[in-house]
Amino acid sequence: MLLRGSGQHTGDEYDLTAMVEEGAAGGGVAAGEALARYAEAFYEDGNGFAAARDRLHGEIGGEALVDAAGVLAIFNAVVRIADATGIPLEEEKARISADFRGALGIDAYPAAAGKV
Amino acid sequence: MSVDAAAVESLDYRHSPLPVRAGLAGAQQRAWARLAEPGEWWSGAVRVAIAEETRAAMHCAYCRERKAALSPYAVTGAHEKATDLPDVLVEVVHRIRTDPGRLTRRFYEEALAGGLGDAEYVETVGVMATVIAVDSFCDAMGLPRHALPAPVAGTPRRRRPAGAKEGLAWVPTVAPEDLTDAEAGMYDGLSAVNIHRALSLVPAEVTGFFDMDSEHYLPDAQLRDFGTEYRALTHAQTEFLAGRVSAINRCVY
Repeated sequence: MLLRGSGQHTGDEYDLTAMVEEGAAGGGVAAGEALARYAEAFYEDGNGFAAARDRLHGEIGGEALVDAAGVLAIFNAVVRIADATGIPLEEEKARISADFRGALGIDAYPAAAGKV
Repeated sequence: MSVDAAAVESLDYRHSPLPVRAGLAGAQQRAWARLAEPGEWWSGAVRVAIAEETRAAMHCAYCRERKAALSPYAVTGAHEKATDLPDVLVEVVHRIRTDPGRLTRRFYEEALAGGLGDAEYVETVGVMATVIAVDSFCDAMGLPRHALPAPVAGTPRRRRPAGAKEGLAWVPTVAPEDLTDAEAGMYDGLSAVNIHRALSLVPAEVTGFFDMDSEHYLPDAQLRDFGTEYRALTHAQTEFLAGRVSAINRCVY
């Protein structure tokens, strides 16, 4: 939702499907494809992560790479807080995000059926 | 890369080829210190053991087998434990670490039936989130992980918020209007949205985790200030990456 809000502020239109589709392009976000690949490679077995990190470093620079590592790290923790406590999405957020959650398949995630 | 073992031990980033913001490193140092101290319901030794078990879960063959199964309940076996924590706690830690997207209320209720208190469960989640965030940062930077801190002696405080209520989540939570003097500052600087309330049965876990969150992500007040970029990573890049990580983990929130 905040990505949509950011786009509305700057006049950019982002393709939100890029957030949920593996191997998708960057959704119109600067260095989006490299950011997506960085996140995907983090969770894969194998040796692809260093290459994904190097590519992202080359595209956004060292200071932003540190920021990206911080975002990836904290969300790797936040998702577990949400899933382990059964905390639901706020009613208002659920209402205004219903269109894209359905379209992107987020409502079909196993955890969607396991909330309160 | 040559690694200064002492720097890793004390949790700083002198060994990092890329400079790490002082605010970010400082938040991790505070989190690491808090990890080792007695909490509300667990001693420092148990908290550090939970952190150790959180790391060990990623190498547990039983967890890998369950993760690959159509249902985690279709597989029987035993965890590869790294600590002497009770089995119910090991099960909680391993499942949350390795298969969070398929957790259900049944999982939580089984933990309680197994003897875990609801506040002990919440503190466990808070400890896990802390170590996962710090470890993941090191992994994402390509740096060695920090040694876990030595436990600090002392007794858990065992204070339960008087205003905690059932209903919002599986775990009891504290609404902003139900705060008492004992946990009055819990939501300072936070908008008290549901994710902030998730750990509120143990207020120190809320303040501790979101102290770290504000440095890794953005402080609440900056999240919707789209006209100002506070980091080298833009708002759009930050939200895109956060959304991609959530989707990979199949997290609805």
